[in-house]
Amino acid sequence: MRADLVPLLAAVAAASFFCRVGGFWLMRFVPVTPRVEAALKATPLAVMIGIVAPVAARGRPAELVALAAVALVMRFTPNDLVAAMVGVGVVAVARLLAV
Amino acid sequence: MDVTLPSPRPAPPATWAGLRRGFVRAQPMSVGVLVYGMAFGLLARQENLSLIESLAMSLFIYSGSAQIAAVGAMGQGGYVGLDAVASIASAVLLLNARYMLYGAALWPWLGAAPVRLTTPTLFFLGDGNWVLSMRAHADGENDLGYVLGSGFAAFLPWMAGTWLGSAAGSLLANPAALGVDFLLVSFSAAMGVGMFRARPDWAIAATACAAALIVDSVAPGGWTIVAAGLAGGIVAFFRFKAE
Repeated sequence: MRADLVPLLAAVAAASFFCRVGGFWLMRFVPVTPRVEAALKATPLAVMIGIVAPVAARGRPAELVALAAVALVMRFTPNDLVAAMVGVGVVAVARLLAV
Repeated sequence: MDVTLPSPRPAPPATWAGLRRGFVRAQPMSVGVLVYGMAFGLLARQENLSLIESLAMSLFIYSGSAQIAAVGAMGQGGYVGLDAVASIASAVLLLNARYMLYGAALWPWLGAAPVRLTTPTLFFLGDGNWVLSMRAHADGENDLGYVLGSGFAAFLPWMAGTWLGSAAGSLLANPAALGVDFLLVSFSAAMGVGMFRARPDWAIAATACAAALIVDSVAPGGWTIVAAGLAGGIVAFFRFKAE
């Protein structure tokens, strides 16, 4: 371990950990009214959309077909893990076929 | 009206059974984390980091984008001076700003738990296990162990992947061909459909989508997540009607 790497490692580790605990810690000072709770409850779905939307908007065929497959599987099974793995499988096959 | 505060919540249960549930449910994601860890290990090796240095980064930083930023700066030689360290650390704060949102959303669930349990739970927090945990929580999961267990399920392959990538080089010529880069997207899509079905809310979904696409056109990357999450939360905040 190079000694001159330690300050960088410590600073980046601290920044990373700060982000992980920061939002949680700040909530100590926010009264969780029903309104605030509704906002917090809405974030997971909003974040999931934030992860998927840019990929869908790029419009690459493999990803679009895979996302359609995920939606299709979700119509027939409540198991989102199965749907997610089908999506990964479809994207792999679609990329293979596209060469 | 927001005059009635909910009574203080009891601390959530924290059991081995919950830890196990989270750990097992997160397994399909761990494959992707392993490959991502290998990619980082390989990159670190190319920048002449030793195995110990690479593993120390994965252990203490535990964030792909932050580690890649740090290794990139090392490759250019600018990582020793105080100003260089400060600028990389601030970049990491911005790269990982979405975790602030993740932590805040976990507060109603885990806020009353003891700090000795929430600290490791937050340390092991990642995109995948947060998505998985929030989805489970919406379905009634209330055990802190679920978040910790699913986080640990991602941390282990991250370390293993770093080790493999650094020690053995790339075992996979092209990870994208296996679709592993699509794992988080696929999980988010599936779980988003599930969440939307349980509580359909077009206003939140449409606003989050619009915010993500607008930010994506300006600054692609983690900020689309922050924008979507904040936009959805703000809409829910203002549209809330007390029952």
